[in-house]
Amino acid sequence: MQTQTEENPVAEITQARIWNIPVRLFHWMLVSCFITAWLTRDDRYLDIHLFAGYLMAALILFRLLWGVIGGPYARFGDFAFGWREAWGYTKMALKGCPPRFIGHNPAGSWGIYLLLGLGSLIAITGLLALGGEEGHGPLAGLLNRPQGALAHDLHELLAWVMLGAVAVHLLGVLVESILHRENLIGSMITGYKSVPPGTVSATASRPVAAFMLVATIAAGFSWFYGYLVETPEQPYRPFIGQQLPDNALWREECGACHLAFHPSLLPARSWRVMMQQQASHFGEDLFLEQDAIDEITTFMADNAAEQELTEAAWKINQSIPETETPLRITETQYWIDKHSEISMQIWESPKVNGKVNCAACHLDADDGTFEDAAMRIPVEEDQSSTVLFNEMFQKAARYFSFNSAPPNRLDDKG
Amino acid sequence: MKRKLIVITALMFVMPMVVQADAISQLQADYQAKGAGPFSAAAGEALWNKPFKDAKSGKERRCTTCHTTDLTQAGKHLRTGKVIEPMAPSANPKRLTKIKKIKKWFVRNCKWTLGRECTAQEKGDLLAFLKSL
Ligand code: HEC
Ligand code: HEC
Ligand code: HEC
Repeated sequence: MQTQTEENPVAEITQARIWNIPVRLFHWMLVSCFITAWLTRDDRYLDIHLFAGYLMAALILFRLLWGVIGGPYARFGDFAFGWREAWGYTKMALKGCPPRFIGHNPAGSWGIYLLLGLGSLIAITGLLALGGEEGHGPLAGLLNRPQGALAHDLHELLAWVMLGAVAVHLLGVLVESILHRENLIGSMITGYKSVPPGTVSATASRPVAAFMLVATIAAGFSWFYGYLVETPEQPYRPFIGQQLPDNALWREECGACHLAFHPSLLPARSWRVMMQQQASHFGEDLFLEQDAIDEITTFMADNAAEQELTEAAWKINQSIPETETPLRITETQYWIDKHSEISMQIWESPKVNGKVNCAACHLDADDGTFEDAAMRIPVEEDQSSTVLFNEMFQKAARYFSFNSAPPNRLDDKG
Repeated sequence: MKRKLIVITALMFVMPMVVQADAISQLQADYQAKGAGPFSAAAGEALWNKPFKDAKSGKERRCTTCHTTDLTQAGKHLRTGKVIEPMAPSANPKRLTKIKKIKKWFVRNCKWTLGRECTAQEKGDLLAFLKSL
């Protein structure tokens, strides 16, 4: 393929389609996935985050295939430059006189390979983290929790690297656009570039593009279908955790005044102390008889946080120093970190009524699983807009401070 | 002999059900045996709505603090925010069916609300009131 042309202002200029529709769709859908995944990195939106991730992985797989069968300018063969060529091109660009390529230039093509590689690694580490930490996804159970947490750290590190690569990519596009006085971003939208006559143009590939769109919409519809059919009584829960051990006496005695906090939420030593002091339980007398105390204590100690029945159990236990015996879940470091963004206004709203009312936000509080994407912060109808606005504002503020602060994974470990 | 056994076994199954279904009468009979009675739903209602001042916090406490005034509606625990199912047996058939449970909550809730245990008379009145809903 003739890609390199001499600048010749006298030559006639025509328009030709360089980027076929699948290439453009791939490009902008990848951009959307990347942005969406960034904005949904909180546990709260894990289902949306996962959708963006799976879609990104599918797009990359598609691009690999399209790199073989995708026609002129899209085929890898058309931009398979060695690193010498890429470096040579970069040096020319730094001098301000890079040669013009109709398709991808040598430096740009290395950027593309880098982004495709990073995207793949991010998808793989994401799946490993999901399987190891949460026990969900196709790789569930492959890694244990500490290994899953390591994959999670790698996943975040790679995402930052990719963000950097995107920044360099944008800079390259900008520099090349200015030096060649052409709108490269526009070309990635319309597909057309100004080219010398006789330049090969790409076919539109409409059927493939249509297939991409239909497949994405169908996938999105089936992924989020639960939200369409949920009712206020039966809110949709994207993730259902494994069923945890239960005990009828415990549920009856410990679930009357508040949620029956699952034993996995505190270590055994905490439960033992709490049961010993049952006659002065946060200012209440529980009036439990000795055999009830024994049965409940045994059940709780057998399923306490040390048993790591859930991700929350593991992380809560990790966040408690060996020397401490907290009697409140809400005073463990992990809990505090996870809820630090919730405003006083929300805690005090009548529908929440304090930190202890886990079920006001966690749809699976009763099961004790505390899965991701199973929390909904209730808002009062009349003040919903202000609360939502506040939340968005805080999010934005956090986002801008985020770049200087370490990623929140570090806090997770307490 | 065999027939007697059958009758006894049958009774063993039926008896607890009868007792359970009428936990309220059973409890009221116990209170009467202690010299209380007759019981009045009106007195029970008055006590249910009566404010008591908590010695420590100085705040007013009543049964309705957690159970609300409309007993066919769900209430909410003052300290924890947990939803408490409606108290009226008409709205919640499981209510007031277990003697042990009623006794336990009378102790807890009277101490919390009144600062002392309720008398047999008061408990009988409260049950007469709650039963009538
Ligand atoms: C009579 C009512 C009552 C019963 C029954 C009861 N609790 Fe509590 N519990 C409370 C109150 C009130 C609080 C403090 C709530 C607050 O902070 O406002 C509390 C707090 C707690 C907390 C701390 C929550 C946190 O993280 O801040 C735990 C844990 C707990 N209870 C466990 C139990 C267990 C286990 C049982 C059963 C043996 C039990 N409770 C039974 C009334 C009760
Ligand atoms: C006002 C609403 C609200 C209440 C009440 C609340 N939470 Fe949460 N919780 C959240 C939100 C929102 C998140 C997600 C934070 C994030 O995205 O990082 C969360 C996260 C968590 C997580 C981490 C989940 C995960 O897999 O990463 C745990 C565990 C948890 N909460 C436990 C509790 C417990 C136990 C209680 C009650 C003692 C409670 N929460 C009360 C809103 C609430
Ligand atoms: C601090 C909150 C609170 C207050 C105040 C309170 N209760 Fe309760 N009450 C409860 C809770 C929690 C339960 C158990 C709810 C359940 O089983 O669903 C309960 C249960 C009961 C039951 C047992 C119901 C049954 O199904 O057997 C009775 C009877 C009762 N309360 C009476 C009273 C009376 C009388 C008062 C006022 C003297 C009172 N309560 C005040 C929280 C309260």
